[in-house]
This record gives sequence, C-alpha cells and structure tokens, in this order.
Amino acid sequence: MQVLIALSRLFALVNASVLTLGRWLGALCILLMVVIILAQVFFRYVIGLGLPWPEEASRFLMLWSAGLMIGTAYRRGGFVAIDLLVALAPRVIQHVLTLALFAVSLVVLWKAWQIGWNEVTGLAGRFGTDSLNVPTSWDLSTWRKVPKSWQMASMLVGIAALIMVSVELILRELVAVFGRAADLPPISDRVVLGSE
Amino acid sequence: MLSLFLPVFLVFLFLGLPVFFALLVAPGLLLWGAGMERDITLLYRNVYNGMDSFPLMAIPFFMLAGELMNRGGITLRLVEFSQALVGHFRGGLAHVNVLSSMLFAGMSGSAVADVSALGSMLIPAMEKNGYKKRFAAAITAASSIIGPIIPPSGIMIIYAYVMGESVAALFLAGIVPGIMMAVGLMIALSLLADRYELPAATKRAAWGARRQASLRAFWPLMTPVIILGGILGGVMTPTEAAAVAVGYALIVSLFIMRSLKLSDIPDVLMRAGLTSAVVLLLVGAAMAFKTVAAMARTPEQMASIILSLSDNALILLFLINLLLFVVGMFLDAGPAIIILGPILGPIFVELGVDPVHFAIIMAVNLTVGLLTPPMGLVLFVTSSVSGLKLETLSKAILPFLAVQVVVIFLITYIPALTLAVPRLFGFVP
Repeated sequence: MQVLIALSRLFALVNASVLTLGRWLGALCILLMVVIILAQVFFRYVIGLGLPWPEEASRFLMLWSAGLMIGTAYRRGGFVAIDLLVALAPRVIQHVLTLALFAVSLVVLWKAWQIGWNEVTGLAGRFGTDSLNVPTSWDLSTWRKVPKSWQMASMLVGIAALIMVSVELILRELVAVFGRAADLPPISDRVVLGSE
Repeated sequence: MLSLFLPVFLVFLFLGLPVFFALLVAPGLLLWGAGMERDITLLYRNVYNGMDSFPLMAIPFFMLAGELMNRGGITLRLVEFSQALVGHFRGGLAHVNVLSSMLFAGMSGSAVADVSALGSMLIPAMEKNGYKKRFAAAITAASSIIGPIIPPSGIMIIYAYVMGESVAALFLAGIVPGIMMAVGLMIALSLLADRYELPAATKRAAWGARRQASLRAFWPLMTPVIILGGILGGVMTPTEAAAVAVGYALIVSLFIMRSLKLSDIPDVLMRAGLTSAVVLLLVGAAMAFKTVAAMARTPEQMASIILSLSDNALILLFLINLLLFVVGMFLDAGPAIIILGPILGPIFVELGVDPVHFAIIMAVNLTVGLLTPPMGLVLFVTSSVSGLKLETLSKAILPFLAVQVVVIFLITYIPALTLAVPRLFGFVP
C-alpha cells in the first residue's frame, strides 16, 4: 500500500509540475495567436498587404496550445462524460467501473501514441509546411522550411500528457479502493470546460 | 461488423467513458475486429486534421473576448443599463436578469460564462430585494442559455465546421430565436408575478439616468456590432472578427474602463486555452467518428429507421425535437452536436428542411438541454454559484423550461423566424 501511495504522489508531483509549465506555454501560444491574427487583419486591411504565413502560424500555435494544455483539462475533470451510471452504482462497482474506464482510455492513448510516433518520425513529418520558415544561421541569411513533424509533435505531446495523467488517475483510484484517498494531495481547481 | 458501431459507441458512452474516448474506441474496436487495422491510422489522421482548422480558432478567441470583458467590469455596466431600461417593471430585477443575459450573449456566446458572471452578482442582489433564492437562481439559469443562441456562439461555430455550413448564416439565424427566448421569459415573469409574489413596480428611471447608463455601457455594447459588422460586411472572417473582438476587449478593459489588471490576463488566457484544447480534441475525434460512420453507412441506416416512422417532415421534426430533448438531458450541447449533426442533418436536408433551419433547431434544443437534469451543465454551475441543491433548482426552473419548449416548437414550425435574417443578408436562398 505504501508503495502505491508513494507512486501516486510521485506521479501527482510530476504531473502538477509539468502541466503547470504546459499551461503557461499554452497561454503564451494563445496570446501569440491573437497577435498574429491581429497583424494579419492590420496588414491586409490597413496596409493592403496580405501576409502568407499568419494563418498557418496561428494554426501551428493552436495545435501546440491544445497539446500543452489538454493534460491539465483531463486531470481537472474537464472531459465530458455521462457518469450517471457510475454515480448510481454501489461503491465497489463504482471503483471497478472507474478503473475499467481509465484502463480503456489508457489503451486508446497507448495505441494513439504508437501511431503518432510513427507519423511524426515517418515520411509525412519530413515534408515542409507551406509558409513557415526558420533561420538556420545567426545572421539570418539562410532559412529552411519548418518540417510538418514540428507541428505534428504537438499531438504527440498531448497524448504523452494524457497517458501520464491516466496513470496518475488509475493509481489514485487504486489508493481510493483501499480507503486511503485522503493521503494524496488533492487535484486543485476542478473545471467546467466546453463551448457551451 | 461495422454496423455495430453505433450501439458499441452508446454502450461505452452510457458506461461513463468520456465522450472523446468513446468517439474513438467504438470505431477503433470495430475496425480492428473487421481486420481493417490499417484504417486505425486513418482515425488518428482524421483527429489531427480535424483539429488543424482555422475556423475553429474563433472559439477560444470569442471565449477570451467575453472573459476579458467580464473581468474588465462590463457585467456591472450591462446590469446598470438593463436596470435603467426595464428595472421599473414589476419584478424588475428578474427582467434585468433576462435583458442582461441577452446583452451578455452578444459578447460571450457561453451560457456557463453568463451564469458565472451574472449569477454571482444578481442572485444575491435579488435575494436582498425580497426574491426567493430558488426563483432568482432559476431565472438566472434559464436566461443564461440565450448565450449560445445569440451570436457569437461556440456551438454554432462547431456545427458550422462539422457540417460545412456558413458561420455567418448560423450566427444570423440565431438572433431571432435568442430574442424570442428573452421575450418569452419576460412574458412568463409578468404572467407569474402574483404566483411568485414579485416586488411591485417602481418609478421609471429618469431620462438623464438612462442616458448615463447607456453611455457607460456604450463600449461593451459595441462588441457585437464589431463582430457581426466585420463578418457581414465581408471585411473579416469569423476567426479574424473574434481576434479583433479580443483586441477590442483588451483596449476597452485596460485603457478605457481601466478595470482589468495585467495580472488577470494569464489566468484568462489559460481558461480560454483549456476550453479550446477540450473542444479541439472533441471536434477532431468527431471527424474521425464521422468518417467511420460513413464507412459503416450509419447515416443511411438511421435515415431508413427514421423514415420508416413517417415520411412527413413535420411529424419527424416533432419526433426529432423529442429525441434531442432527451439527448440534451444526458449530453452537453457541443458533444451532442458533434455526434448527432452528421447523422441527423443530411436526413432532414433530404426531406427539404433548410440546413440552416435544422442547425438552429438542433442548437437551440440542445442548448435548452443544458438546463435539464440529470446532466445539465448550466444547472450544475448555477447550483454551485447559488449554493442551492440541484433538485430544488430543477423544480424551480420548470415554468421557464416550458417557455423554452414553446419557443423551440415555434422556431421548428415557423422557419421564417430562423431564416428571415440570414435571407435578408443573402445567406439563404
């Protein structure tokens, strides 16, 4: 039991720290998205010059903001589910069902990780983006196309975060089965998320 | 084998698997069972490509604009403006609540944001002025669902993206139903004034006070004008208009009203980012689900089942409203639209229902579902804001829910209510 609690605490600590960093980086991505789109509007309608890169750059940032923040959303209970059956079930069934659902989610995520890894490291990832370039020299004289894998990696990062959170939630549930949930640090700021 | 895809999905959904995972597990399992393992990679690609969308970026931007305005103190100004207009009616604060929700809807597009912002201010104020708490909470919750109906609206953007409709057309089509919801609730308040023992009418605000309140609310009230004006004028895409709304909200809150602190901004950005992440993943999963649904010929099967009930579009619309109402009791509007839109939409378009009209029927019905137990998102938030039990709130909301059901049927059977405005702007033939 002590091993289980120690492991849960370790995952809680790692996830809380890594996801905090992810939230700040994700917030920065959102801010940059706004700035880029406002620049697009300004250049197109005020100066009369259409920039080729803002749309792709903002999509790049949006995908990264999602990848960096999705772990937090899952950990804080932001994934919509019909949990009526779980709530109405007797306590033992509740634990069994919750563990089974977490396990199913983990299998999905593991499969997604395998596919995602192949996608990012495979042929599709080696193609360049349409309009995004990065400098390859300090004097900015040479540039190269941003490979698609840089954008595709956002989803892989999100999946990795979801896997880490899933493992933490499974460990927490196991600890709760033995009635020791109070020994674990609570997950702060449960959130209601959705387009509604 | 693939025909089992919908039942398997429903089993996982009702067992309590999060919608995102259920949307992937059912198709994945069946593709695996049918020996089509290579197509599972296709599922992954569909999720990724579904998320990689410029139009969807409008969702976090509109949320951001609403949240910035709210933190910047606009809620108070909207309430003061509403008070100056309708505060003298019998049950004035209840009318103020409804009108404020309608005005707030023009900025945020989220019922949850509406309840959080207005509920925390108006429920205590109403209680202090002699209203019963359960009544105050119920009217706050009921009026908040105008948020996703009047533009801008997160769920309309999702519907437009998933179903390939015009965001501008859906935004315009939501205006009249949203106003009807507000007017319907205000009529109900007047009719039920005796039963609820609402406070007596007071003296109408002087013109000077009204002008003052209008001036104070001027900047926030310009937000919907900028958003809709930009989109309809053909100047901006909805995403660009949303970004401009964010810029405008920042300038108004930071420099004009000077009510937003720089230290508030990271938290606002994080909230918008978290919401956006969840919505993006859901939409991505929905695109994968939609692909497998098409492979399994689910829309055709559903169509034959539905058409076997009746071939009269009016009867089918009645039945579909019942179905959507029940679905809304268990699922939030966004996920429900994502799941049901691609299945039901084509059937009714085939029957001659205008796609924009059907979109609004679906969006309004499922939005009202946010108020219905056992899984009503707005009920949960209102319960947490007011401190009332869910059961108490669920009962108190019933008269207002009845009004909204009437509005749903009016917009279902009188298409002009929905289509007149988009037709005026040339979005509907």
